[in-house]
Amino acid sequence: MTAPGAGAVLGVEVAEGLRGVIREPAALFFSVVVPVLFFTMFTALFGSMPSPNGLPVAASMLATFGAFGVVSVMQLNPGISVASDRESGWLRMKKVSAAPVWITIAGKVLAALPYALAVLAALTAVALAVVGPVIGVGPWLRLVVVLLLGSLPFACLGLAVGFLASANATTAILNAILFPMVIASGLWIPLEAMPAWVGGIAPFLPTYHLAQLALAQLTGAPAAAHVLVLLAATVVTGGLAGWAYRNLRV
Amino acid sequence: MGVTRDGEPALRVTGIEHAYGDVPALRGVDLEVAPGECVALLGPNGAGKTTLIGLATGLLAVQTGRVAVKGRDPRRAATRRLLGVVQQQLGFPRTLTVAELVRGAAVRAGRPATAALGALAEVGITELADRRSAKLSGGQQQRVALAMALVGDPQLLLLDEPTVGLDVTARREFWQTVAARRDAGAGVLLTTHVVEEAAAVADQVVVLHEGRVIAAGSPAELIALLPDRTVTARTTLPACAVADLPAALSVSNDGELLRVSSTAPEELLRAWLAADPWLSDLRVEGAGLEQALVVLTERAGVFA
Repeated sequence: MTAPGAGAVLGVEVAEGLRGVIREPAALFFSVVVPVLFFTMFTALFGSMPSPNGLPVAASMLATFGAFGVVSVMQLNPGISVASDRESGWLRMKKVSAAPVWITIAGKVLAALPYALAVLAALTAVALAVVGPVIGVGPWLRLVVVLLLGSLPFACLGLAVGFLASANATTAILNAILFPMVIASGLWIPLEAMPAWVGGIAPFLPTYHLAQLALAQLTGAPAAAHVLVLLAATVVTGGLAGWAYRNLRV
Repeated sequence: MGVTRDGEPALRVTGIEHAYGDVPALRGVDLEVAPGECVALLGPNGAGKTTLIGLATGLLAVQTGRVAVKGRDPRRAATRRLLGVVQQQLGFPRTLTVAELVRGAAVRAGRPATAALGALAEVGITELADRRSAKLSGGQQQRVALAMALVGDPQLLLLDEPTVGLDVTARREFWQTVAARRDAGAGVLLTTHVVEEAAAVADQVVVLHEGRVIAAGSPAELIALLPDRTVTARTTLPACAVADLPAALSVSNDGELLRVSSTAPEELLRAWLAADPWLSDLRVEGAGLEQALVVLTERAGVFA
């Protein structure tokens, strides 16, 4: 008797997740189109001006809009996917298989990563086309790596909601958390251009620290505090997801 | 793992009690499925059939009693390697093809993805391999689900209402495939509300009613529990007069005919023929399994 290999099952899960996106991309259309559209508009208007940190606005916005795009994919995609699999009965079919369900869930997070990467690639392409090369390859790579790694607490939050709520409710709840958080963290409009009280809220939001961590890859500013906050956020949302997983109804 | 226990039954359920909050679903159920045996669970909705399947698949945690698949706990993922399950709700992702679904099931059961080819052929859906699940009919989906259940080479097949939506031909093919696996040594536990299906395919029928086993045995044994016969005939007598005949239990109209149930049809017929010399279109029938179940379930309701 052979137990299913975790690697092989994970491969199947990721492949199934990716096929879903490739074959029916409409479902995730907006999580790419919205950030890219806004980014294009703002870059065209202000892209080559300097921002307060000394970088061209297009470079700063690669970090802030990049954080927005990655967080929106990673917070929404795995969570909604788990919720709809619960609703359809597909998760129950996996739960009675010999493969542990946590592999399915890990697979959903991994399958969302290429998608988040695609958002970053699209933003980079727009920046290159509109303004030209604003950052070096090294800082760009570090930016991509921190954004993808830093999206983990948001994926955990999405899963925690997706384990408990219906697919429609999961979409609504996660968006209701995402958009205020994104705006109050200065990911769309720079905090300098917003009322001072918004700047007071921002340091309490994980999205702010993700964007600052991404910016620090370009400016070389100290980043340890941001990493710590994101780690703490991962502990909290990971714990939440773990608790929701134990109460998982399939 | 590694120790094979061939003497163990495919499924053994002992003293199971299960409740959802305060609502009892199973109240002390014992059940065994031997290798190479097909057991049908029958009973009205709410009898506890799906709860029993849920416990056997490891989806539900045992509250009281014991559930063992080949002597092992189905809550452990490794034990479920021995299971093939067709659930009521299938919910395939619409973007995946049939071949991808069955290959995925093979890998999740610890087998190579290439095992999917054999399972597709066994269920007779090789020509559907490249079709997306969104484009499958209900009957085709059930057959895909069966292929996914068989691809892991299970020792226990658990089929929860698996032939809903299948036409007569597809049903027969479905059960032929299951019977072939049964003959090859797999234990089968199925639920169905189609009584003829249970009678045709099952070696043992277990009747659940309000969480208890109220009858168990081969289909023939269950029918024999009920000595009632039905006598149908065209008569000139009014129904109330027929109801007064000796050994007549109940009378009902069947078009222009009169239908009478009786425990002693010979006695009834002697009296009936004497009272009505013009009696015609006479037919005497034994009770079917369906009728037996209705009566058994009603009796349980009366005596509960």
